[in-house]
Amino acid sequence: MSAHPTDAAAPEGGLRALWASPTARVGLGLLGAVALLALLGPLLLAHGPRELVAAPLAPPSAGLPLGANAVGQDLAAQLAAGARTSLAVALLAGAGTVALGGTIGLAAGWFGGTVEAATMRVVDLALVVPRLPLLVLVGAYLGPSTPLIAATISLVFWPGTARIVRAQTRSLRTRAHVRASRGFGAGARHVMRRHLLPELALVLAAALVAAASRAVLLEAGLAFLGLGDPTGASWGRTLRDAIEFSGLFYTPAWQWWLLPPTLAISALLIGLTLTGVGLEGGSNPRTSRHRPGATP
Amino acid sequence: MAERRRPAVSAALSGLTLAALVVLVFALPRALPGDPLAALDDPTSGVAITDPELRERVLAHYGLDQPLPEQFAGYVGGLATGDLGWSIARNAPVSGLVAAHLPWTLLLMGPALLLSTAASYVLGILAAWHRGRTGDRVALVGLTALRAIPEYVLATLLLIAFAVLLPVLPVGGARTPFAEHGSGLAALADVGAHLVLPLATLTLSLTATLFLLQRHTVVAVLGADHMLLAEAKGLPLRRRQFVHAGRSALLPLLTAVGLQVAFAAQGAVFVEAVFAYPGMGSLLLEAVAARDYPVLEGAFLVLALVVLAVNLLVDLAARWVDPRSAAS
Amino acid sequence: MSLASAPVLDLAGLTVTYPGPPPVRAVDDLDLRLAPGRCLGVLGESGSGKTSLAKALLGLLPEARVEGRLRLAGRDLAGLDEAGWQAVRWRRLALVPQSTASLHPALSIGAQIAEPLRVHEGLARGEASARAAAALEDVGLGAAALERTPEELSGGQRRLALLAMALVLDPEVVVLDEPTAGLDLLSRARVLALLGRIRAAGTALLLITHDLDALRGLADDVAVLYRGWLAERGPAARVLDDPRAPFTWGLANAVPTLGDVKDLRGIRGAPPEPGEVVQGCPFLERCTQAVAACEQRRPPLVAPEGEDGARLVACARGGRVPVLRARGLAKAYRPRRGGRRRGEVAAVDDVSLEVGEGEAVGLVGPTGAGKSTLGQLLVRLVEPDAGSVELEGRDLLAARGADLAALRRRAQLLFQDPYEALSPRLSVAEAVREPLDVAGVGTPAERDAEVAGVLAEVRLPSSPAFAERRAHELSGGQLQRVALARALVLRPKLLVADESVAMLDPSEQTKLLALLRDLQVERGMAMVVVSHDLAVVLRVADRVVVLDEGRIVEEATGAELLAAPQHPLTAELLAAAGRPGALLGERSLARQAR
Ligand SMILES: Nc1ncnc2c1ncn2[C@@H]1O[C@H](COP(=O)(O)OP(=O)(O)OP(=O)(O)O)[C@@H](O)[C@H]1O
Ligand code: SF4
Ligand SMILES: [Mg+2]
Repeated sequence: MSAHPTDAAAPEGGLRALWASPTARVGLGLLGAVALLALLGPLLLAHGPRELVAAPLAPPSAGLPLGANAVGQDLAAQLAAGARTSLAVALLAGAGTVALGGTIGLAAGWFGGTVEAATMRVVDLALVVPRLPLLVLVGAYLGPSTPLIAATISLVFWPGTARIVRAQTRSLRTRAHVRASRGFGAGARHVMRRHLLPELALVLAAALVAAASRAVLLEAGLAFLGLGDPTGASWGRTLRDAIEFSGLFYTPAWQWWLLPPTLAISALLIGLTLTGVGLEGGSNPRTSRHRPGATP
Repeated sequence: MAERRRPAVSAALSGLTLAALVVLVFALPRALPGDPLAALDDPTSGVAITDPELRERVLAHYGLDQPLPEQFAGYVGGLATGDLGWSIARNAPVSGLVAAHLPWTLLLMGPALLLSTAASYVLGILAAWHRGRTGDRVALVGLTALRAIPEYVLATLLLIAFAVLLPVLPVGGARTPFAEHGSGLAALADVGAHLVLPLATLTLSLTATLFLLQRHTVVAVLGADHMLLAEAKGLPLRRRQFVHAGRSALLPLLTAVGLQVAFAAQGAVFVEAVFAYPGMGSLLLEAVAARDYPVLEGAFLVLALVVLAVNLLVDLAARWVDPRSAAS
Repeated sequence: MSLASAPVLDLAGLTVTYPGPPPVRAVDDLDLRLAPGRCLGVLGESGSGKTSLAKALLGLLPEARVEGRLRLAGRDLAGLDEAGWQAVRWRRLALVPQSTASLHPALSIGAQIAEPLRVHEGLARGEASARAAAALEDVGLGAAALERTPEELSGGQRRLALLAMALVLDPEVVVLDEPTAGLDLLSRARVLALLGRIRAAGTALLLITHDLDALRGLADDVAVLYRGWLAERGPAARVLDDPRAPFTWGLANAVPTLGDVKDLRGIRGAPPEPGEVVQGCPFLERCTQAVAACEQRRPPLVAPEGEDGARLVACARGGRVPVLRARGLAKAYRPRRGGRRRGEVAAVDDVSLEVGEGEAVGLVGPTGAGKSTLGQLLVRLVEPDAGSVELEGRDLLAARGADLAALRRRAQLLFQDPYEALSPRLSVAEAVREPLDVAGVGTPAERDAEVAGVLAEVRLPSSPAFAERRAHELSGGQLQRVALARALVLRPKLLVADESVAMLDPSEQTKLLALLRDLQVERGMAMVVVSHDLAVVLRVADRVVVLDEGRIVEEATGAELLAAPQHPLTAELLAAAGRPGALLGERSLARQAR
């Protein structure tokens, strides 16, 4: 983890630093666009994603900005609803992962000793669990729903976050000013609030972004495999419907049916990745003796 | 050199994952509330079984009438003898279905791993060598973005580009259906043409991750003293790049390849879904649609086994490359 | 430098600047020449630019600006392109790098040594491998190392492998960056012998090292770098055994050599920060003999006075200045009573002695040899019958009045018996202040401050209580320190110490000797240490003068004296100094170093 919170790394300072990185700005811009689509879509569009409102494969028109699919559903409405699903999963699973992994990692790093050893064994074990099969099987057996998917994703991904947070907590605990404040009698709560959490904020933010992007990826993936929430909309599902429609490419419909969700998923995931790269301070490999252009 | 994780670690990890999967597959249906096979009796569930003979086979597979340890022993024993269960939807042994689909997945995964390893090796060295230049930046940004998007999205984009907009390659499948090929060679060419897009997708996807790692490793190596000596020895550029810098980065790269094998298998599943490629991915997809649990579980187990086997191969390659293990 | 053959390597005005910020001039306007079959030693502190020089020679500094002339066998290397450099590197100009991490960690030693053969000479694998094995045998590593990787070799073995690699193409010039660092004595001797052989075969060696003994045995010429700048250059024997530049002198004293028995001394202070731009002499702040002229411009390389020009020194004062120069001193004592002439004793007879800046000369001899008389003559406490004494270039014997008083302050004598030297009526402070009072230096307050300072310098408590004590209240060691403080308070340039530690117990002796050494480093004083105990003298003296019946019978460095005493008296003194066994051991070590 190259995020190196400085002493002044209060959350606002962190956000300002984030905005200063061009990479992160592009990322945040993409996230903002997806969020706008999710929020404004239902207000501007006349139809719900499941209503049968048009002729099959109707091309885009004034009332149907993205045309219709093979059964005549409004694809723009599906795109907007898919954005809501993706963002909901991202937030739920991201928050769940960070809450679970953050708490456990903080506890392990803070208490050390047996607690730490035991937690880390569990982490090691959890890392071995095959993720996609687990999600597919859980989805298949339990019948998928968005909250269940988010919960399963959190359960699968917390160990990675716990590891990072534990390592960071341990190194913070031994740092001089933290030890000093314990030395003058500050309680655990004070040290956590004043010293640990502010410094962990960036780490947790990066973990949140990472978990969110994996959640988006998996939700769309499960929907693409046919394991999405049958009552909700999802980009993965729209994509699957389009791909499964035989003869799609003999009509121009792929342009409004297949392409938009493809681009939307890409935009959201690239946005999350770039934000994450910005949060980690940009990839900055240690430059060495060798300079660019040193040798032709 | 910094920490060099041995590929053996990834082989061990995938072995553990396989074991975890066995337990998971065994435990999941049994841990659920109620009779996990209740759905089989429910005519509205979509997986109801009316054929009594088939029903017998499925129940025997789950062996629910026996105590748990015996169930587990029987289950693992069955797996060991290649008994992966009985497909509900197709009324056929799962192992037979897997045998029909697995070769296509291997045809996709194996070359994709090889190609992405080779491409990352070369591109990573060149990008590191010219780091900060335009080519490096383009590769860095492009592959970072590529790494972010899922395989099926990339597959869709490539499909649109090379099969629809520029119709030079087939849209899907592994062979042209009902085609009569004049010669074995033509048949082979047909298979090759169908392979191009899925293979390109998976290769690109894997390359994105491996390239970034390789570039990072090589950047760190460039400042090493031995690189200076290689230059002092008057060695030609290519030799310094691909023998001296590359050699140092080879072991970390192979380690990463080991860790990528599982992602390659997962990626193959999604890529096959897009291209209707008749491999394990298609099998899984059909099994999901039909809620054909035994096929689902069997396919995952076999894929995990494949990951383990490929990992062992990578481990062997790494052993061969690692000077420390070569000497002993 | 040899005039017989044209130089194979010819550098003029070579300058290497790292762009910074701040820009660092690692090599600064360097002129060097190296002929075939000769060895040029490059000596310098850490960070003085030795490695930068080596890299510049092979065109390995793409990150730095390299200016000046750089010629290999008459051809300019400066403008070479990559292909041109590849043709020069290793085949004509090979490098033994400083870092043993220069071997590729994952390739076998054999493959790495064979690589240049395969690339440059197009040899087949088998043939290249056989040559690599032979090269390994040559450096004494054995062909068994062929299959090993660097991780399986010790640091010293890696160095040998690097050496084998450099020699495998039989290049015209080999640049060796610290080739003996980290080697045991046996491997080191083997490497030096090998280098001697390849030099004899006509290869030119550029030997960068801290190892003075290696340079003594191998180098024809030596160049001394200080902060990338040439401080001194010339034939090895002259530069190493009689260094003239103050920096070379300091370096020679700071570097342990096998022959040394003398305690090591550092150079005071530290070099300027790498990025700092210096107007005058870069050594200025650390130099004990700096004068105003040193600040104005960078001193050019010139031959020291009275030399033939084979050696050049960059110093505004022409190198280390002699503090004391005594010529033909003679003194005879005749018994006062009776007036019988035949009782006349020649205490000192035609003695000439020079002591340079920062140098300590030991004066030894049996009782009655005239040591103390000579010591007193040097500071004109006794008037000579004949001869001259120059102190910092001024005639001490001709000086009169105020001149004489001022000169006398520059030379102080420390007596054998501090009880006699210090008046029992005076307190410590008064005794130390007395010379200042006499000379009328500064205000009373300044004098007190000076006294406190010098007491601290000789490591005495500067508390008022101590300063009020009288002579009889002090221990012998403390008393001698007070005497030393008194001698030093006028900041003399020459200190003659006459049996000054003789009356102290061994532990006090050691402490006082260490103190004298430190003071010498800080102040750059010249010292004459008079003693009958050779063991004491060898510890502090750079050079030892053996006196017998008023005459100098032998003059040599401590190491030379130990290795091969020329005069029977010296041998006797050595035996008397005790520890014959230990001395024998040291002697054989010193021999091996030759
Ligand atoms: N790449 C670089 N960029 C900037 N300054 C450098 C660089 N390499 C060396 N220097 C500086 O140049 C000066 C000379 O360094 P150099 O390595 O040549 O010294 P050296 O004499 O070989 O020292 P040592 O005996 O420790 O090996 C030093 O001040 C060093 O800090
Ligand atoms: S005397 Fe002056 S010029 Fe000579 S070394 Fe000392 S400071 Fe430099
Ligand atoms: Mg060096």
